[in-house]
Amino acid sequence: MYNDEIMDRYQNPLYYGALEKFDLKIDEPSSSCGDKVTLYLRIKEGRIEDMRWEGEGCIISMVSTDMFCGDAIGKQIEELENMDDSALLERFPIKVTSGRYNCVLLPLKAIKKLKKEK
Amino acid sequence: MINVSSCVDDFPILKRKVNGQRLIYLDSTATTQKPRSVINAIVDYYENYNANVHRSVYKLGEEATDLYEGSREKVANFIGAKREEIVFTRNTTESINLLSYTLGESLKKGERILVSAMEHHSNILPWMRFEDYGISLDYAGLDDEGHIDMEDLKKKMTRETKIVSIAHESNVLGTINQIDEIGKMAKENGSIFIVDAAQSVPHMPFRVTENTDFVAFSGHKMLGPMGIGVLYGKYELLDKLPPFNRGGEMIKDVDFHQVSFEDPPLKFEAGTPNVAGAVGLSAAIDYLNLIGMENVRAHEISLISETLDALEDMKYVKYYGPRNPEERGGLVAFNVRNSMNVVRNLERNNVKVDKLYHSHDVASYLDEKNVYVRSGHHCAEPLARLLNISGSARASFYVYNTHDDVKSFIDALGGLGVQ
Repeated sequence: MYNDEIMDRYQNPLYYGALEKFDLKIDEPSSSCGDKVTLYLRIKEGRIEDMRWEGEGCIISMVSTDMFCGDAIGKQIEELENMDDSALLERFPIKVTSGRYNCVLLPLKAIKKLKKEK
Repeated sequence: MINVSSCVDDFPILKRKVNGQRLIYLDSTATTQKPRSVINAIVDYYENYNANVHRSVYKLGEEATDLYEGSREKVANFIGAKREEIVFTRNTTESINLLSYTLGESLKKGERILVSAMEHHSNILPWMRFEDYGISLDYAGLDDEGHIDMEDLKKKMTRETKIVSIAHESNVLGTINQIDEIGKMAKENGSIFIVDAAQSVPHMPFRVTENTDFVAFSGHKMLGPMGIGVLYGKYELLDKLPPFNRGGEMIKDVDFHQVSFEDPPLKFEAGTPNVAGAVGLSAAIDYLNLIGMENVRAHEISLISETLDALEDMKYVKYYGPRNPEERGGLVAFNVRNSMNVVRNLERNNVKVDKLYHSHDVASYLDEKNVYVRSGHHCAEPLARLLNISGSARASFYVYNTHDDVKSFIDALGGLGVQ
């Protein structure tokens, strides 16, 4: 299924598991397919010091969330909030059909919720 | 007469190659492909007859009206109804919403509506809205194989139950419900009986009976174009309902502060209707009649029998709904167990793991092999909750599918068993 890179990352995620100490916790259920992801963020002066996730869902959304955490650490939270959907889709290692865009975009949707709540 | 085993040649889209291979379309429950005769009928309408209907006195307008009303007649004959009992809508969803906003107006606080737990959202949400007004929505439960639990249904059909609205065939379980029996019970109870026939009228012989008050179905699920649907209603009931949308076409007389409405069915068809859609639906019914609905049903039983036999042998596949092909339509929803290796690795990494592949992953895997199935909750989320699954993949058949398609599907699915 998919390719080795995706399947390896799915089975061996690098950022899975709740943070004991965190400044932000975001729950994002994807109502259309039953996926759900929780992001844990440790933030200092707007900069993401650490980010971890837990959740359940399809392979694409789980891998995308794990990769997203890796990319996010060290960045300003504002930078993530302003990230375009297309940027995340382009960074994802495989091209998915438009029906799967939401799977890839699940972690970004979670982060963008912060901006909406501000 | 059209032979169902060779009719695939009549469907231009099924000749299309993707990555050099033919495509295996197994999503007819969502929408069906269109034969050339339907496509040509729509083109012919726009090239030769297009005009607005009903109010035109010139030649083209008369011809367009004849085509539109001729389609109504054809739909009526197809289900054993009268011409004036056929209301054209956009689709099944709009047909049921029409009832919600007309029939539903007479519901009073304390009264109840009864559906089943296997309904599509389009036969749940138009009724759920009444809960805000103190009107209860009850769900008849299901047995282990996915039939309606008739005892539970009987129990929930109370004196307060004014509307009973049930799918003839489930779009997930495939179960063909006993609508004759349920209709009889509803009538004895004094309830209005509505049949969501989106998955049955296209796939089997269907006749309205004295117990069916209203029937809803879609043109695009029966070889016709998108955007044309049908609501059948007993004339005396349609006559009593208030109008749905208001505007052009649906009036007899309008004064500054007074209006008298048209008789059914025009009372419910405000605005310029989808004439080309009706023309396409008419051609679709001609095509289905040339095959014969008994033959459509027999063909689907044959395909689903072969599919279920194969799935039974695949220990890593779990399918839903009755085992007996006679009790179900030509569709099957299923899930695939995750490979043991993957599960072991995930557990080693302390990742919470679902023992089933996500249905989107299964559908994407099959897509790579040009086998097109649907995935998700199929707009029947309460049913997915009842089955305790996030969703399922679903393969569904129609007249143009062949035993080769079944084989391609099973072969492709087999690839997931060895991963």
